[in-house]
Formats: sequence, C-alpha cells, structure tokens
Amino acid sequence: MRDPRAWATWVLTALVVASSTRNPLYVVLVLLSTMVVGGSCASDANQGRQAVIAPVRFAAVALPFAAVFNAATAHIGEVVFFRLPSHWPLIGGPWTGEAMLFGVVNGLVLTTIYSAFSAFNRAISVRDLIRLTPQAFHEAGVVLCVALTFVPQMTRNLRRIREAQAVRGHRVRGWRDWLPIVVPLLVGSMEQALSLAEAMVARGYGAVSERRQSIRTQVTLVIGLVTLLIGWSAYSLRAASPTWRWLAVVSLAVGGGVIAGVVIALGQEASSTVYRPRPWIMADTMGMVGCVAVWGVVLLGRGALYYTPYPHLSWPSFHPLVGVGLLGLLMPAILVGGARGV
Amino acid sequence: MTARKFLSGLIYTLSAAIGVLAFISPFFPAARSAALGATQGQGTGAMTMVTTTALVLLALTALLVEMHGQAMAAKTVATLGVLTAVASVLRFIEVAVPMPGGFSPIFAPIILVGYVFGSRFGFLMGTFTLLVSALITGGVGPWLPYQMFTTGWVGMMAGWLGRLMGSQRRPSGRRLGGEIVVLSSFGALWGILYGVIINLYFWPFTAGPTIPGGPDVEWSQIASQYVAFYLSTSLVWDLMRALGNAALIAALGAPTIRSLRRFRRRFHFTVESPHA
Repeated sequence: MRDPRAWATWVLTALVVASSTRNPLYVVLVLLSTMVVGGSCASDANQGRQAVIAPVRFAAVALPFAAVFNAATAHIGEVVFFRLPSHWPLIGGPWTGEAMLFGVVNGLVLTTIYSAFSAFNRAISVRDLIRLTPQAFHEAGVVLCVALTFVPQMTRNLRRIREAQAVRGHRVRGWRDWLPIVVPLLVGSMEQALSLAEAMVARGYGAVSERRQSIRTQVTLVIGLVTLLIGWSAYSLRAASPTWRWLAVVSLAVGGGVIAGVVIALGQEASSTVYRPRPWIMADTMGMVGCVAVWGVVLLGRGALYYTPYPHLSWPSFHPLVGVGLLGLLMPAILVGGARGV
Repeated sequence: MTARKFLSGLIYTLSAAIGVLAFISPFFPAARSAALGATQGQGTGAMTMVTTTALVLLALTALLVEMHGQAMAAKTVATLGVLTAVASVLRFIEVAVPMPGGFSPIFAPIILVGYVFGSRFGFLMGTFTLLVSALITGGVGPWLPYQMFTTGWVGMMAGWLGRLMGSQRRPSGRRLGGEIVVLSSFGALWGILYGVIINLYFWPFTAGPTIPGGPDVEWSQIASQYVAFYLSTSLVWDLMRALGNAALIAALGAPTIRSLRRFRRRFHFTVESPHA
C-alpha cells in the first residue's frame, strides 16, 4: 500500500475501531496488527525493531499509569484491594480490581492509537503528506514546503553558530547564555526569508493572484459553521431524545459537507500539476477492502465489541468472525511484498 | 467592505465557538451519557471523540479558508515558512534534550511573532509550527488538530495583545521593559491554559465512567471533578511550562522583538506593476 489517501483511511479506521471497543482481546488483536504493519513498513532492521519497541515502551508507561489512575478515581466493583477514607476527595473509597482492569484496557487503547499513528508516520513520507493538503490550501502547502525545506538548514545553522560561539569561549550555563545563539539564528533566518521573498516576487509569485475572498465564499462558510453549531448544540444538550439526535446528526453532516464543499470549490479554482503522479495500485485497493471489513465489524457488530468489567469481572467474549474482520487491518502488511515489487 | 469585515468577524467567532464547544463537550451531561452509552455497547458515541476531533478540524479548516482568502503575499509565505522552521527546530531540541515537565520552547516564538506581526500572522504561525514540528518528529495523531487550534489561538491573542499595547506602531529602538513583563505574564498564563484546554480532550477518555453521568447531573459537579483531575495530574507539569515560557520570554524576548521589528520595517517593500 503506497497511496497516502489509502494510508489515511487505514489509520482513521484503526483509530475508530480502537476507540469503539473496550474488549481487551480485540484491542490486543488490533494493537498487534498495527505493530505488524508498522514493522512491515520499516526500511531496515533497526526501524523494524523500533516498530515493536516503541509501542512496548509506550505501554510500559501508559498501562501502569492508566491502571493506578482509574483505580484511584473509579471506586466501582467487587474485588476490593483496600479502602481509603471515603471523605478524601477523588481518591477516597475502595480501590478495586475491576477499576484497575478497566484502566489497563484504556492504556491498551491508547497504546494502539499510538502504534497505529507511528506506523502511519513511518509509512508515509512528508512529501506524500503534503500532497494530502487540499488544493484550496495550496498556499499553505507552499508555506509547509518552505518550512520543511528550511528545517535541516536551520539545524545546520544552529550547530554552526554554537560552534562559532564556543570557539570564542562562550559556554551555555543559564538562560541568558542562549542569547548569543538565538539572536544570530533569528536574524540569519529573517535575512534568508527576505531574499526568498524577493526571489519569489522576482519570479512572479502572487503576481496574478490578487484575488480576495468572495462574499459568497464567506457567506457559505458562515452557513456551514452555523449548521455545525446548531447540530453540535442539539447533540450536546438533547442527545437523550431520538428526534433531537437525528436532527443533530443530520445538521452536523450538512455543516461538514458545506465546509468540505467550499474547500473543494476553492480547490478547483487553483490548478496545480503533479510532477510525478503516483498511480493507485492494486495493493491500495486491497488495503481499502481490509478497511471495509473492519468498518463492517464496527458498524454491524457493535454489540460483539462490547465489554465492561463493571460491576463484576467476567471473561471477555471472543467471536471468531469479529476477529477475522478486525484482521482486515493487517492487509497492508500482507501486501507489502507485492507493493515493493511494483 | 464593512460587510466583508462583519462576515470575517462572524467566521472567527463561530469557529471559535465550535472549537470551545467541542473542547468542553465532556461537561454536557447528555453528551456524556451518550458517550457512556457507547462504551457500554449501545451505540452513538465512543464516536464522540472522533466527532469532536472532526469538529475541531472543520473549525480549523473554516478559519484557514478565511485567512487564506486575503491572498498571501510572497513575503508572508516566505517569512511564515522560515519562522515556522526556526520554531520547529526548537521543538527538535525539546525532543532530544529532556526538558522539565511540560516545558516546550515553541511557545515563546509563537507569542513573540504574534505580538510583533499581528493576530492573523500569529494564528498561522501557531498552527503551522505545531503541524511542521509534528511532521518532522513523527507526532501526527488525533491530538494534532486540538494542538493546532489551541496554539493558533495563542498566536492570535498575542496579536491582539500587540494591538492593545500599540506594538505595531512602536519603533524598533525603544526600551522594552514594560512589554516584556506583560508578555512574560501572558506566556505564563497560556502555559497553564494550554494544559487546561488540551487535557479536556483526553480527560473523558482516561477517566471514563468516573465522570458522573446521567441526565440529572449538574455541570458544576462535573466541573469540580475536572478540577480535581487537573490538580492531581497536570498542575505541576503545566507550572513548568508556565515558568519556562515566562523565563524564556524574559531572557530572550527583548532582543528578539527588537530584531523582528527591524525586519518588519524592512519587509515593507511593494512591487509596482509596469502597467500601472
């Protein structure tokens, strides 16, 4: 799988599925899938190790923290370890095994989200991510390109300035000692920005785009935002009644659609060409098929994903069909051989 | 012209309202119980987190479209890109060298740049700095829209502060004692506020069912729960950020502002078309 859009869908799918189940068995399954995918995107052995080590390291911090935190704040359950005086704010009351288990599952969910996004960050190059920027924001894309191009140069400048000051006997001891380093860095950068701007103007950048926001765009934006606001208020305040909830969902969708429409319409005004287009390959389609399977599980098998340790502990259920559906997330890893060959 | 300005203000206010509502959604009992219902398998809402992220993203999009409309000149593009790069390099230092608590050196440049170059530039600087530094450190995630939105506001308010204090009109050579004191306090305040706002996003997620749910719960009850959560988990962490911001601005603010102002003057060149 290579297409940035396919990867964005994959990571969104992982995010949604991870946040919609608290069944530890499924969460672990999804976590392992994301780790395998992360490993399969690695370009060398070191990166492959990182794909495993980084989530494990994250879990080593997140799991105990979430467990203790949840036990300290949720005093529900039957397996009582010990009690603190109940008049103590927040932490007072029984500390239970159920609460601790729920905390661990929360930690696992966090680890899964982290792992999915680190696989995404590894699989997609920065250049591809910029290509995901909507056409309407092509100026933002230019800013992003300028910034990313200058980052390595800034790092070099920073090192050079530090060395030069060190040769003069300058040592960084306190806050103010950063002054002789930061100011030259800033001034040098602004000089570069100035010459870059002059070069851009000299090459005709912005010479024709003396456009202003049309009133129509602004009005459409306002309409979209108002609809969103109405939808969200209805959802927040009246979610209990089904009629209001429907109204909320519809107006949220309409508002989102209007804003998306503005972005698309503005994008069509600004045309840009791609130097080396990247075709949508078979592996991308297969990856999408895997995501569809996962979405099927999330939307249809919501009851099967359900698990809660409260009020008393029980063994989480595991439905093989749900498990197979969730394995759709593994698709990018299975196809990686084919993708390399193309 | 005034209609345009009015609409522009309306867009700012509305997207701010949506962002704020998305952030404080855990305080609404109904939405909370819907979210709880979801973790209990009934439907609507473990999606709440996804929905709020989408909402923040949409509000951010609307703001960006609005700011874009006032076509960006080459000078803006170049300066924004380069300054963002500088601030992102500072984030690199943060990742490489562990800093105490929540301290991060990226806030000071955002505040100073917003203060000197105005609110629109400050907003763009805030959002882009977070975006670029997330890209180069591999920190893209569902938390990113929230961070971008909040730092964008840091930059924007720094711009308002600048207008309030007449920063844009001040010549570069003046003494800056008073301004530095104000800016340091502003940085310290936002150091704490940033933590309060960002925590809101994952608080219902980690705290889960401990937040009192149900339709009859007063929001003040939930708020006191959040205060307890905040004091116990984040205050020390955020104090480090607040102190760090204040110290950084106090130590480096004056020379930075001076050189930024000098460049602001130098940037006032205009291109004359030969046909005009």
